[in-house]
Amino acid sequence: MQWVETEETVRFNEVDQWGMVWYGHYMAWFEVGRMSLLRRFDLLPKQMVELGYIAPVITLKCDFKHPAACGDLIIIKTTAVKPEIAALTFKFEISLQEQGTLLARGETTQVLLTTDNKMIYRLSGELEKRINNLLDYCQK
Amino acid sequence: MKEIVNNSEALIEFLKKMIIDTLKLEDITVEEIGDDTPLFREGLGLDSLDALELVVAIEKNFNVIIEDENVGKKAFESISTLAQFIQEEYGE
Repeated sequence: MQWVETEETVRFNEVDQWGMVWYGHYMAWFEVGRMSLLRRFDLLPKQMVELGYIAPVITLKCDFKHPAACGDLIIIKTTAVKPEIAALTFKFEISLQEQGTLLARGETTQVLLTTDNKMIYRLSGELEKRINNLLDYCQK
Repeated sequence: MKEIVNNSEALIEFLKKMIIDTLKLEDITVEEIGDDTPLFREGLGLDSLDALELVVAIEKNFNVIIEDENVGKKAFESISTLAQFIQEEYGE
């Protein structure tokens, strides 16, 4: 499985009163990872809208394994897996850059709607082509 | 499968079982699903993600394709409308 890696530094405003990254920020990092991956396949939200689609997240899972602190360098790894249904599923692993300690592991699933909010049950045309390129890359 | 599709009663029975199996509806039995019970919301309480899974099951079992929500809305009204839809589209 092929992962795309993105680097981030934990910011001062991302840690809580206990000096650990507040759990909600991991979702923002998932988003950073997803955008890095989508950019390579012309599937950024704006480009999806140009094709006539939006992709709202309907499922989010996250397991927290280890805390991170302000100033830590982290690596966000992102990949996409092929679900059986017409949806997009991404997997994420966030770890400390230096030691490689796993901080969190997550997954999101997005359904595909037309821009007038009708759910699509099957991929077709240019959207299918771009998504297949993404999935082929990730499954290498 | 052709024999089942041509026999409305058998098809309806098959679809009820398919829905229970596909969506893992452990609390519902075939007998509890009425032929005209709405599949979504106030009926069986299915949602749009369930619809996506049923679309895959229907394609696998019958090779019948439901493209999008516009087509799905009518087909998924109830077991009866779904059976009718499959009978109309099967083998074309």
